[in-house]
Amino acid sequence: MSLLLWTLAIALVTAMTTALCGAYLVVKKEALVSEGLSHAVLPGILLGFLWFQDRNSPFLILLAAGAGLLMVALVHLIKRTRLVDGDASLGIVFSALFSGGVILASQNLRNVHFHADSIIDGNLATAVLDRLQWGEVDLGPQAFWVMLLTLALVLTFIMMFYKELKLMVFDETLARSLGFRPGLVHMVWLGLVAITTVSAFQVAGSILVVALMIAPPAAAYLLTKDLFRMLVVSALIAIVSSVIGVYAGYHLDIEPTGPIALAAGLCFLSVALLAPGQGILSRRRTRQRQQAFVFNQLLLVQLVRGAQGTKAGSGYSPETLYRQVAWSRRQFEAALERCLEQKWILDQGTGYQISEQGERYLEKDLF
Amino acid sequence: MFDLLTDYTFQTVLLGTMMIGAVSGALGCFAYLRRQSLIGDVVSHSSLFGVMLFFLASYALTGEGSKSLVVLIPGAIAAGTAALLLTRTLVRRTRLKEDSGLGVMLALFFGAGIVLLRWVQRTDPAIPGRRGLQDYLFGMAAAMTQDDLWMIATLGGLAVLVMLLLWKELKLFTFDPVFSHSLGYRSTLLDTLLIMILVVGIVIGIQSVGVVLMIALLVTPASAARQWTRQLGTMVMLAALMGAVCGLIGSVASALYANVPTGPVIVLSATLIFVVSLLFAPRRGVVSRIGRRRKLIASQAVASSGRSAP
Repeated sequence: MSLLLWTLAIALVTAMTTALCGAYLVVKKEALVSEGLSHAVLPGILLGFLWFQDRNSPFLILLAAGAGLLMVALVHLIKRTRLVDGDASLGIVFSALFSGGVILASQNLRNVHFHADSIIDGNLATAVLDRLQWGEVDLGPQAFWVMLLTLALVLTFIMMFYKELKLMVFDETLARSLGFRPGLVHMVWLGLVAITTVSAFQVAGSILVVALMIAPPAAAYLLTKDLFRMLVVSALIAIVSSVIGVYAGYHLDIEPTGPIALAAGLCFLSVALLAPGQGILSRRRTRQRQQAFVFNQLLLVQLVRGAQGTKAGSGYSPETLYRQVAWSRRQFEAALERCLEQKWILDQGTGYQISEQGERYLEKDLF
Repeated sequence: MFDLLTDYTFQTVLLGTMMIGAVSGALGCFAYLRRQSLIGDVVSHSSLFGVMLFFLASYALTGEGSKSLVVLIPGAIAAGTAALLLTRTLVRRTRLKEDSGLGVMLALFFGAGIVLLRWVQRTDPAIPGRRGLQDYLFGMAAAMTQDDLWMIATLGGLAVLVMLLLWKELKLFTFDPVFSHSLGYRSTLLDTLLIMILVVGIVIGIQSVGVVLMIALLVTPASAARQWTRQLGTMVMLAALMGAVCGLIGSVASALYANVPTGPVIVLSATLIFVVSLLFAPRRGVVSRIGRRRKLIASQAVASSGRSAP
């Protein structure tokens, strides 16, 4: 297999794993925990690196995931005092941990190759060269197998606890009353997110982890309400973004992580605009339709009420009507035009009058 | 130590980081009270996109990419504001919540910024002036110049001035947006103004601590100051003071010891102040709370033993 294909394979596995992890976070409104985690693991990674001298050591991954869980625990501790509002605790803790990491990196790792840029965009391109050997046989990049293992872990967890997850996502109180332990499952899940963050961090850096954990699930969230479909759609969007990103990165001759993140963001943006039902454009259309309906009806009601007062047949002059409804000129003219077009209002020459169709339309409900 | 005080470069850095700390500390109170602490993170990351766009624009216009803050900061402000306004639209117009909206902006704007940055670093023939662009990511307090200082002072002063002029409105809007709207203040306008001064405060701060740590400058002093007071005015002044002190500690530490980066020291000193505030603030603090509980239990024990006695 060529290097480009291996790069793509690593990107695909990473993207799917992070997207699956992120779906839960997005639904639980804790999306930015991933941003915190992706920075808080840095001191763990550096310490682990000093200790084990091997980037892909499973112990390093566990140690760094431990740093992530430390962040989660500290945030939880601060939140429990109820002295700090909102997400401030997350910001305080992860920036402190990250600072510790940066100071550590500037002190002790002078002799060790740890490039600042790789914190941000990882090193997918060089990860491909770091092969796993079985005797004489080349099994492909080590990073690929690490990510595949993580993916398997995440999938196993989702399959084993699908029912619990689903219940917790939508009704935590019910889950608790049924005897499940949402707190425990939540912590285990955050542990998985931390492990994923760390193993993805090696290849993908912090931007990609955050981008892929949030953007695909957020897009999927606008497309479906079903948890299972949401997981599938997130994974699909992650796949599409990584294919686009890897090829864009290849052609621009840069690390593919930036382009993948951007592609995921653009995928989200197009979904947010165009999604049927939940998309911005579709919601705007619905709103306009509802608005038009209300204005039509109000105009017709005004005509009917006016007709009861005056003698039959003379109709309404547009100016009187305009004064009575007290809308803006534009709203009034648009409504009048719509009603004339649909023949709900008839122009009698002397003035406007409601037609039979108009009376029937007036009886209709919006929904 | 005394050599340091007369050192010209050190004076610049010291003044710069202290101003940045004060401005972002003061403005951060509003982000904190509106429960939008994490916008600091998103704005600082997103601003990279604007910085790169304006860098490339200056290259297209003059033939050399400019790294002057006068060119880059307007770009950063534009991109940061755009990211927040887009988030607002997403939250208002879809069923997405604010945290996911902000997260997506990270992917979109920071992703685009990184793509541009890496492309500029790689592209052949080289774009003149591209060296040192990546410093924007991790901060370059030590490289602060006199011009930068003026830029920081002007923009920071402007943001604080707007805050002071609209003090009453912003205060009301922050604590009770619905009431402020019902009084006839225009919420969207106030929200946009607040977003803009916050973005200015954040963008000038990236100079000293970099993209990742900027959030701490915004949030940590505000959270610490909140423990000591219930008055917005006092809180803002206290947070500004704390921010300035952190700037002082950071620049002194990195000047005295080689290999100690300014940004992380600023952040860690802010964290220390926060922890002390959380534990020892009068009335609200954890220690005083425990003390109070003990006293309560003791007094109840006395009362009940008094009752049980004949």
